Amino acid sequence: MKDLGFILASWLITLGSIGMLAVVTTRQARRLSTRVPDDVKPWV
Amino acid sequence: MTVGSTGTPTTRVIGALALLITGWVVVSAFFITPADSVQGDSVRIMYAHVPTAWIAYLAFVTTAIASGFSVARRHRTLGFDRVAGASAEVGVLFMAMTLITGSLWGRLTWGTFWQWDPRLTTTLFLFVTYVGYLAVRRIDTDPRQRASRSSVIALLAVLEIPLVHFSVVLWRSLHQEASVLNTDGDVRLDGLMLFTLFSGVVAFTLIFAWLVIHRQRLTTLSDLERVVGLDAAITARRAENSAGVTA
Amino acid sequence: MDLTPREVSEAPRPRRRILPAVVAVLAAVGGLAVVAVFLTSSIDYYCNVDEVGVRDGCADDQRLRVQGNVDEGSLQSRAGQTSFVMSFNGVSLPVDYEGEPGGVFQECIPVVAHGRVVDGILVATRIEVKHSNEYKAENADRLDQAEKSACS
Repeated sequence: MKDLGFILASWLITLGSIGMLAVVTTRQARRLSTRVPDDVKPWV
Repeated sequence: MTVGSTGTPTTRVIGALALLITGWVVVSAFFITPADSVQGDSVRIMYAHVPTAWIAYLAFVTTAIASGFSVARRHRTLGFDRVAGASAEVGVLFMAMTLITGSLWGRLTWGTFWQWDPRLTTTLFLFVTYVGYLAVRRIDTDPRQRASRSSVIALLAVLEIPLVHFSVVLWRSLHQEASVLNTDGDVRLDGLMLFTLFSGVVAFTLIFAWLVIHRQRLTTLSDLERVVGLDAAITARRAENSAGVTA
Repeated sequence: MDLTPREVSEAPRPRRRILPAVVAVLAAVGGLAVVAVFLTSSIDYYCNVDEVGVRDGCADDQRLRVQGNVDEGSLQSRAGQTSFVMSFNGVSLPVDYEGEPGGVFQECIPVVAHGRVVDGILVATRIEVKHSNEYKAENADRLDQAEKSACS
């Protein structure tokens, strides 16, 4: 495949950034969730 | 016992569907769709570039609508403001990806990474505007003041989106006109290319929904923790309690 | 059990944060810079070949960005020098460019050339390809091309 480096870089940046935001969000959520009681969490 | 995440059965279904469809888009983009007659294999970047741009638009429109509701209800509840903030965060990420993937694609097709042409410039301006919006959201630690200030910016900033989208029609641009959402309503993509592109839009919309739900819940947790001061209180009580039990 | 009242630390007063304020100011300055760069170039990115020396802002004694289609059979590459003729609306302009244009540069494709017109030739310092918004499978196009000439 021609220009594979550019194509791979585009996809890795896109999916990598989304994945990183998802991981950071999940970790922060886990950390904060234990500090807040369930009865004030609207989604529980 | 506390629930240790911001996930619910609904978000898990959204997440699973997003992963599944994204997997299909990647496979199709790399191995199933044909190369373009003029651009060759570089067209495979389109299946990432175009959906990120559309989702960034969607994110900023969502921010504006949520801000509108927040203003209409005089910030009595902060739920809408949190959705607005979460959506802008995700939108800024997607807009950054649009600029980066567009730059890489541009190098392969136009022969340059960047030009100050109408589409590229207005897109960069939109990105900078929402970086500013997110910064303003973090200036005030009081959630209601944050909601008041940021709503105004969100309602003004969204007006840039039509300018960005129609910049290629309003002015002469190096960037090509839209192949799908264009003024004459024609679709200028081969069948499988179009299907893969729309699959990408569906996948990224699901990812957007998943991220916004989780991030607005995260802001809720953060606000609750800050306002109530639960962190220190609960830790102290737990320490006391465990000391009492062992004594 | 110790029932002595605990020391109550003063609740943190809402305060403004410095870093987000700095980022907000930088974003505002950056936004203004983007607008300034945009407005100091020209709002229309290029002049078409038939507008050179005719349209306001397209005077042929200044540095220009000119758009036209690369004429079929006009492309010549010799010793790192690329020459071709580009046309638009029936008007043609020869172009000289030192180097090989990047992107998907080829005959019959719209390009934007940056440079000055010297003795009726556009001496370009930069060539960009302006591809269309149509996407077709490579093989399907070969069939089309077999039926008609490349530039039609």
